[in-house]
Amino acid sequence: MWFFRLSYQTYKNTEMKKRKVIRIIAIIGIAGLLTGGGIGLYMFYKPHRDVQSAKADYILTSSQIVAEYLADNQAANQKYLAADGDSKILEISGEVKEISENFNGQKVVLLTGGNNMAGVNAIFNAETNDNLDGITIGQAIKVKGVIRSGASYDEDLEMYENVILEKSDIVNE
Amino acid sequence: MTVAFLAFSLGAQAQDRYVSSKTHIKFFSTTPVEDIEANNYATVSTIDPGTGVVVFSVPIQSFEFEKAMMQEHFNNEHFLESSVYPKSKFKATILNLDEIDFTNNGEYRAEIEGEMTIKDHTNSLKESGSITVKDQTLTVTATFDLVLADYGITFNDSEMVAKKIAKSVEITVTAVYDKQ
Repeated sequence: MWFFRLSYQTYKNTEMKKRKVIRIIAIIGIAGLLTGGGIGLYMFYKPHRDVQSAKADYILTSSQIVAEYLADNQAANQKYLAADGDSKILEISGEVKEISENFNGQKVVLLTGGNNMAGVNAIFNAETNDNLDGITIGQAIKVKGVIRSGASYDEDLEMYENVILEKSDIVNE
Repeated sequence: MTVAFLAFSLGAQAQDRYVSSKTHIKFFSTTPVEDIEANNYATVSTIDPGTGVVVFSVPIQSFEFEKAMMQEHFNNEHFLESSVYPKSKFKATILNLDEIDFTNNGEYRAEIEGEMTIKDHTNSLKESGSITVKDQTLTVTATFDLVLADYGITFNDSEMVAKKIAKSVEITVTAVYDKQ
């Protein structure tokens, strides 16, 4: 009789332990699913990087980046362009050569270093367009933005292409 | 003397061309699961009315998607590998150049044939578009389809992305040129 009771007790204990383990596994599983799903949803709806609140990776003049690209296009691409498209954030200073507007209503400022073959096209956006009010041709300014492509001579276009900077804004110092 | 004059006049003619940096290239993909659109406003293009040569140079990282994740996928090594191939190029010739009068305002149909280079793949492409001449400016519009697999962009059918991105995508081009 005592033997039966003892073994029943052991049985009860192991059964309880089993249930406990199952419950823990279930909780971990659900937590995992929720976290995984949450991360998935976050990634799917992840906002674009805020270029202006991020720290600049490089601070250069328009002439410097153009010279770097014309000297070795591949090396410059490796240095500045990221595989996921979130490329380096640059602060570029130069002289305003031209201000235009693109098809998206964004202001485009061409910065050069004077006698350069190419320059930097800084594309502003709806939030930053107004910060160009009062900026005039020939003025020296500093802008911050994300680089999209470098400068190069294109044989088919028969012209130099400018460095493209997007999500730009004026840097006040 | 005649040769020098001829060379000079040819040189002068080569300068007489149209350049556009006011452009819009739209990428549109549709599947039952999802419509995906991206827009590019940073493309540069030239048209030489003398030779009929049309060139587009498209900076790939300038394609802006609504969702950041899609933009990352678009740029990464499985798709356009934009850090290694930052630009795509289309170089073509207008086939019916004699039917387009660049000095006479109006809308003209242009048949173009040339080569599209995306990543390290080049394919021939024959499309039509319209050229509107207004004084010293041109406006070009065109819509055509690109088959992604032609440019080495393929997905395993089991991948989620295969259900989301169409095998053939629609490209819409608008560009305004100034005479230079």
